[in-house]
Amino acid sequence: MAAESSQEYIQVPIDRSRPYRWSTGKYLGKLYAEAKDNKRLVTNRCRTCGQLLWPPKKVCGRCKAEAGEDWTDLGSTGSVVQYTYLVVPMWNPHMGEKWANPHPTATILMDSGAYIVHFLEETDPQKLKSGMRVQAVWREKEEERGEGLGDILYFRTIEEQEASR
Amino acid sequence: MTQRVEGLDVFVCDGKVDIPNVYSAGAVQSRFLIELRDNKRIVGMRCPACNVVYVPPRSTCKYCFGQLDEWTDVSDKGTLLTYTVVCRPNPVQPVEPPIVYGIVQLDGADTGLLHMIGEADFESLRVGMRVEAVYREERKGDILDIKHFRPLR
Repeated sequence: MAAESSQEYIQVPIDRSRPYRWSTGKYLGKLYAEAKDNKRLVTNRCRTCGQLLWPPKKVCGRCKAEAGEDWTDLGSTGSVVQYTYLVVPMWNPHMGEKWANPHPTATILMDSGAYIVHFLEETDPQKLKSGMRVQAVWREKEEERGEGLGDILYFRTIEEQEASR
Repeated sequence: MTQRVEGLDVFVCDGKVDIPNVYSAGAVQSRFLIELRDNKRIVGMRCPACNVVYVPPRSTCKYCFGQLDEWTDVSDKGTLLTYTVVCRPNPVQPVEPPIVYGIVQLDGADTGLLHMIGEADFESLRVGMRVEAVYREERKGDILDIKHFRPLR
């Protein structure tokens, strides 16, 4: 046989990643722009059925009609609908790098009526509960913003006057 | 990471797809790469029945399907059988463009070896020109241990 039994076997690692670029387009771009410029979350409302769309999109999923540009401020406060404190490492979906993610993930019902998924600042499982009031904490430096929803670091628990409501 | 499109509320974002992969060379290709790495020697596999020398080597003759085990040294000089010039940047290419890919038939071999041609003007490239291997300084056991082939002066 050609190969001696003690032969070294070569393994060549090939690790060339494929870079790409994607565009937010007009509707998601508006969200990105408002987040970057004004630390504001905006989305559009369907002009046919009045449904609040999230994320902002061109066509309403319910009536399949062009939703139009009725831009609405989502506000910065909401209530936790559900959460998980299983802290798993996450991947940046676009660059593939692992994120350290010390924060629980939650579905948050914004006061304006949109459900968004984001992180909670509170890491103590004992202090997490459904229905608790939270507020968005934004990246402070303008040059660090530009990642859309990623411009919000996490949602911070707030005590409110009307917390009993 | 994200760039705003001038004058528009539109952002262009960077992304990438990681494609980790390991090429297992196998017994015959491993020996070819090891000879290249350790001894700067290019070896081929000869089929005694068909009298064909394969470079890169293979374990089976493609004409008679016989199992091959007759290693033979070939020269690091050869003849350019064909080539193409790549100018388009592409992240999966091994080096930065412009790249000349060429198929080189080494002296003593009967088959062509796909590699790159370097240190040459595109205008001076000719099918049939003589080329010689340039080895990489720090050889690691892959085909790029041959840096490229350059025109024989």
